[in-house]
Amino acid sequence: MPGTYTRVLQTSEVPVGTKKAVDVGGKAILICNSENKLHAVSNICSHANETLECGRMGRTWIACPTHGARFELATGRAMNPPAVRPIKTYPVRVVDDWIEVEV
Amino acid sequence: MNVQNPKIGPGEKGAARCPGAPSTQEILSHDKVQAPPSITAEHYKFLGDEDIAYDRYITPEFAKLEYERMWNRTWQWACREEHIPNVGDYIVYDIGAQSFIITRTAANQVKAFYNACLHRGTKLRGSGSEGNATDFKCPFHGWQYNLDGSLKYLPCQWDFPHVDTAKTRLPEAKVELWQGFVWINMDEKAPPLAEYIGPEVSAHFAKWKLEERYVAMHVIKHMPCNWKFAAEAFLESYHVIETHPLVALSTGDANSQYDVWGDHVSRFLAPMGVLSPHLYGKHTEQDVLDTFTLGDRTVLGDDKLTVPEGGTARGVMADVLRDVMTKALKSDLSSYSDSEMLDCYSYNIFPNCFLFPGISLPMVYRFRPNPKDPTQCIYELLFLRPIPAGEARPAPAEPFTLTLGQSYSEVPGIDPGFGGVFDQDTDNLGLQQEGAAASKKRGLTLGNYQEIRIRQFERTIDKYVGKP
Ligand code: FES
Ligand code: FES
Ligand SMILES: [Fe+2]
Repeated sequence: MPGTYTRVLQTSEVPVGTKKAVDVGGKAILICNSENKLHAVSNICSHANETLECGRMGRTWIACPTHGARFELATGRAMNPPAVRPIKTYPVRVVDDWIEVEV
Repeated sequence: MNVQNPKIGPGEKGAARCPGAPSTQEILSHDKVQAPPSITAEHYKFLGDEDIAYDRYITPEFAKLEYERMWNRTWQWACREEHIPNVGDYIVYDIGAQSFIITRTAANQVKAFYNACLHRGTKLRGSGSEGNATDFKCPFHGWQYNLDGSLKYLPCQWDFPHVDTAKTRLPEAKVELWQGFVWINMDEKAPPLAEYIGPEVSAHFAKWKLEERYVAMHVIKHMPCNWKFAAEAFLESYHVIETHPLVALSTGDANSQYDVWGDHVSRFLAPMGVLSPHLYGKHTEQDVLDTFTLGDRTVLGDDKLTVPEGGTARGVMADVLRDVMTKALKSDLSSYSDSEMLDCYSYNIFPNCFLFPGISLPMVYRFRPNPKDPTQCIYELLFLRPIPAGEARPAPAEPFTLTLGQSYSEVPGIDPGFGGVFDQDTDNLGLQQEGAAASKKRGLTLGNYQEIRIRQFERTIDKYVGKP
């Protein structure tokens, strides 16, 4: 159902500099609040399918805690080995203090 | 006007100074707020006047010698401490083919692990990466290392009875923390960093406290020349008049001061807000004030400044800069002299660290060879700004990478005048690299005073490379 946004979290649940894993229709998604900008990316690393949720978040990226691949939050692009493939990113918006993701 | 350094007899080699111009120290002596002894110190020494052969800038053989005998024995900063604020944070630093995981293992402890798995060598973390780890797990077969480098887990240990797991640990390079940087040295017998820098210059930095600044901008630029050509372009003001004619309007270039200490440290002091001796009689003090561009002018805003009757551009700049920057940076600058506010101080800590601790132009440079091509290098430019008073330390700026042909004007937020100056330097360096290969005369010729830092730099290269 394109164009359908799903409410996932209240904005207060993801303060600046933090992230939270959510499940949207069976998809593991990570909501990241980096420098006051919200991103929704796949929670699954493209290298060996480990979860990203415990990884360190920089200004523009998240690092996989397992082997250290980094992904750009805005685009999902793999920034360094061992990953080469991007991770999926999802449109995200805020409505009435709710974070909504389009899956 | 002063022509001779009193410590060197007239007529001796290296004794001559720009005729008809005041020395840097004479300019500083007229400042309202006087400079401290670290700035008024002079430390020139004549170190020879022979040509230096171009091979060292061109051949893979020389680059190999540098890797085998110099890079692995010298102190280099690998990152800022602010890049790894929390335990488990790490960042990868590469020099040539060598690679290190720099990681914080305790609040006040940082280690530098050789970035290679002890099983079959795989890099444990990709070059250019950073992150946080509770342990380092190899992506190939999963050997796992604790944060302290000891072996945590060896899959199918039954197959490795010959591996003493208790003794197996990632090898480390030496690490020291100084001025907010993490310094590493691969040589187990290397002297401590303070000894390597020497007591005099260590004392200069006690006041600067670069650990209290943060990375406000970080550019990585790929350059079309050997790393030494790139570094040497920033060791002198001699090129200013030809390469950066606009900068010369407000820079004491031919009368900059040059100092060398031992083998590892040198500096220049370029007085700012004064006309280049090359341009005496051609411009007014107001012209000087209007073109004060070498510094990052963005902090000044658009206010038009005027030199009062009988005043000097330097006097106006010192007052205004202290005032405006105190507000812009929200930090107390009252303890800084006019010279510290205005002037361009560049310290080189051999081999590849350049620190500009002054307030108006608070830069750091780092030069590294391109391991695949000795005629290219990687240059980094960082701005280290004081942390605004009462505010939390901002996260360090993400590096912005410029490829060989790209202009500094493409860096978001860069002062356009400033970016242009760096482009002018880059343009020369490609031509210099090509010319060095094309030259019939097989070496470069240096000025005794203005290029003394290059002389010292290459002499130190020779000392390391000459030592098996
Ligand atoms: S699973 Fe993420 S880097 Fe390997
Ligand atoms: S190479 Fe690292 S586990 Fe095999
Ligand atoms: Fe220059």
